[in-house]
Amino acid sequence: MKLKTFPGGLHPPDNKQWSAHKPIETCPLPAELIVPLSQHIGAPAIPCVAAGDVVKKGQVIGEAKGFVSVPVHAPTSGTVAAVEDRLHPMGKLLPAVVITPDGDDAWGELPAPLDVQSASVNELRDRLRDCGIVGMGGATFPAHVKLSPPEEKPIHTLILNGVECEPYLTADHRLMLEDAERILDGVAILQKILGVKQTYLGIEANKPDAIALMEKACAGRAIEVVPLEVKYPQGAEKQLILAIAGCEVPSGGLPMDVGVVVQNVGTCAAVADSVLRGIPLIERIATVSGPGIKEPKNLKIRIGMKLSHLVEQCGGLNGEPAKIIMGGPMMGMTQLSLEVPATRGTSGLLLFTADNVPLRPEGPCIRCGRCVRACPAHILPTTIAAYARLDLFEEAEQFNAMDCIECGCCTYSCPAALPLVQAIRHAKGAILAQRRKV
Amino acid sequence: MLAAVISLGGIGLSAAVALGLAAKKFAVESDPRELAVLETLPGANCGACGYPGCSGYAKMVVSGDKLAAVCPPGGQEVMEKIANIMGFAPITTDPQVAVVRCQGDNAKAKLKYTYIGVTDCVAAQKLADGPKLCPGGCMGLGTCARICPFGAIEMTAENLAVISREKCTGCGKCVASCPRQVIELTPLDATTHVLCNSHDKGALIRKYCEIGCIACQICKKNAPDAYVIEDFLARVVYEHHLETGPGVEKCPTKCIRDFAGGYPQGSSFAPPTCAMPPQKVA
Amino acid sequence: MIELALILISAIFVNNFVLARFLGICPFLGVSKKVETALGMGMAVTFVMTVAAVVTWFIQYFILIPFNIEYLQTIAFILVIASLVQLVEMVIQKVSPVLYQSLGIFLPLITTNCAVLGLAVLNIQKGYSFLESIVFAIGAALGFTLAMVLFAGLRERLDLCPVPKSFRGTAIALVTAGLLSLAFMGFAGLVKG
Repeated sequence: MKLKTFPGGLHPPDNKQWSAHKPIETCPLPAELIVPLSQHIGAPAIPCVAAGDVVKKGQVIGEAKGFVSVPVHAPTSGTVAAVEDRLHPMGKLLPAVVITPDGDDAWGELPAPLDVQSASVNELRDRLRDCGIVGMGGATFPAHVKLSPPEEKPIHTLILNGVECEPYLTADHRLMLEDAERILDGVAILQKILGVKQTYLGIEANKPDAIALMEKACAGRAIEVVPLEVKYPQGAEKQLILAIAGCEVPSGGLPMDVGVVVQNVGTCAAVADSVLRGIPLIERIATVSGPGIKEPKNLKIRIGMKLSHLVEQCGGLNGEPAKIIMGGPMMGMTQLSLEVPATRGTSGLLLFTADNVPLRPEGPCIRCGRCVRACPAHILPTTIAAYARLDLFEEAEQFNAMDCIECGCCTYSCPAALPLVQAIRHAKGAILAQRRKV
Repeated sequence: MLAAVISLGGIGLSAAVALGLAAKKFAVESDPRELAVLETLPGANCGACGYPGCSGYAKMVVSGDKLAAVCPPGGQEVMEKIANIMGFAPITTDPQVAVVRCQGDNAKAKLKYTYIGVTDCVAAQKLADGPKLCPGGCMGLGTCARICPFGAIEMTAENLAVISREKCTGCGKCVASCPRQVIELTPLDATTHVLCNSHDKGALIRKYCEIGCIACQICKKNAPDAYVIEDFLARVVYEHHLETGPGVEKCPTKCIRDFAGGYPQGSSFAPPTCAMPPQKVA
Repeated sequence: MIELALILISAIFVNNFVLARFLGICPFLGVSKKVETALGMGMAVTFVMTVAAVVTWFIQYFILIPFNIEYLQTIAFILVIASLVQLVEMVIQKVSPVLYQSLGIFLPLITTNCAVLGLAVLNIQKGYSFLESIVFAIGAALGFTLAMVLFAGLRERLDLCPVPKSFRGTAIALVTAGLLSLAFMGFAGLVKG
């Protein structure tokens, strides 16, 4: 039977064999936790604790600012060592709350569990906001905002993202195998909040054990498991909607414009924790992998653990790392050092040594068209990047630069090693800056 | 013969009448002075005056019947011509040139990471605040050189931007384009500048740059009126630019440069000959 | 009917005024940097060519021939074309100042444009009737516009390519024009004459 898919895309080697069979291990607490105050899309949180304060696990240490923002919580009990600027995964020094754990790992006062049947939709949404639930696929968009579409955009379909198309990463795969009930509890809550007619769970065909398990678990829960062809970036929102629901999100639009909401399976599990147990988002699963690490593993980490601590848990480095990536190799963020903390969006940590990172010199564009064929968003990466290099941003906008999902397929396939995504991102930044000026 | 004259004359006359009527019907109001002003302008459409292109500036001058802004690339010459055309009182301008306040090229300043990507300073700055350890130094990827309408900026082989004092017209486009604000507009007659843009403390600067200002205050001690130290960075007080000599001599890191002696290392520009003020006899 | 269609096709493709007859190269190279300007210029030339064809046809058969003064053909035609271009310039300046600015000096250059005079003279040489000369004029103008717009599109793409230093600017434009002309040679022989 032909599997559903989307046009375009690539097949990078998925390298999941390093960690796909490894069950999730809980990472022990380190000597210091650095909790950044900007961990999600939207305004960063404002600290509400000071150096010397004693905090309990789950206590709010940063308050949300504005609608598109969530509070930040203490990942363990201990003392606040400082509220100061620390190196953030974005490469800059940004405010963070530094906590010294006391070893008790004691919970503070948590909000009472809610009964899903009797609670109102607003109560559920508020609970998601108060517990800091954000998209765990990597985008970290506040969940309560995604689940509050305007009235004129009714939602009829909920799609769950169990695809995990990025190479090396296996966190969501293990979560589905080991904690399916938690995920499905979260789905039930989302189904109630959105009032959807149908629910789908998309899983790539390279995870047959997860597909089989979830099909059994979803029986009778009004969730249809959809196996998908293995292709990058199947897990991108718009491509997932196209493959499963068959509708295309309009240019410049959002999934709610076609009546769909997409949520990562990890987010669903976090939703279940927050509503049924009052637990805020303070830990997540992350895959530590790559040829630069001795023992690749799937770890359950607390927010604020330094990447060096994760490396220690995985047997240490396998040679001097030339490239440290937080996230997946296609869309993840390169890091300057391992002293950076993990955040709510850290789906993985990949380490590569110098011989894994070939430095190919940049050549001229020969208009081979590989990037155009690979682009899942149906735009022309070569032309947009050419305009971006010449600072002709109006023309770049005319060629739909704003529709780029920054998946990296173009840069991966370019035989001339051109930095296409960076050039398009540069154009997008200039276009947005121009829009703000006018 | 007669037929030729009459027929050709007839065609010409009817054409003239038709054009005359059309000229009346399709007349467009325009002030002849606007064209005259437009012709005096350099025509670079750089926008330094704040108006949309040279035609926008000409329109402003003629329609407003006053000078709301000067034209920096045009300079004194053009301002005088405009004053003549419009009947204004004579205008004086303070010519300025842009200076890149940094000499820390790849040979002298250390990098945080190897940058592989789009050769643009704004793009590189977005990646963890740029590849240089120095937060204020020139990254040398050429954004300013590309945007200069007069071709006055060159990039040295070791990735440093250098601005030619002779070609620069002070339009200011490079100043706005630099993501680290390394470029500054300075008075044309001042040739000495402190070429450093980092406010870090001296001990930290020594770790990542050989030629940065460590705020040791030696320049100020030797020429008290000519230099001022602000926030761990020295600056020339341009009103006293003629007294800066002792500071240039005694600076331990050689970050103060008198452009009369030449441009930073690696530059292909010959030492400037124009606008050299008379050197004060020591 | 079929002859008119053949005249049209011949004028647009087979014997394209710019790419086969090499008339009107000046605006072809000068106004073809952007597709919008090329289109604007093409429309101006269409108007001038069509009206010029009509007026010159009348002048030839009702003034010059009856009075035996065919030797005045060149002067009379140029007089008519010059006045027409002046008229078009006035109209464009009033109606679309933006187009007027972007065409710049090339608008009055249509006056001495060999394409327009060539059209007028060719009409007479081929002995076309009134209707045939109008169709020929429209075809010639459409062919001119087509060549300019195609070339403008090519030049916009050329701007994005890393052209070697010695070829940049006019050099690569001329090479491309030659290649475009070669491409149109593919139509040769489609229509006789």
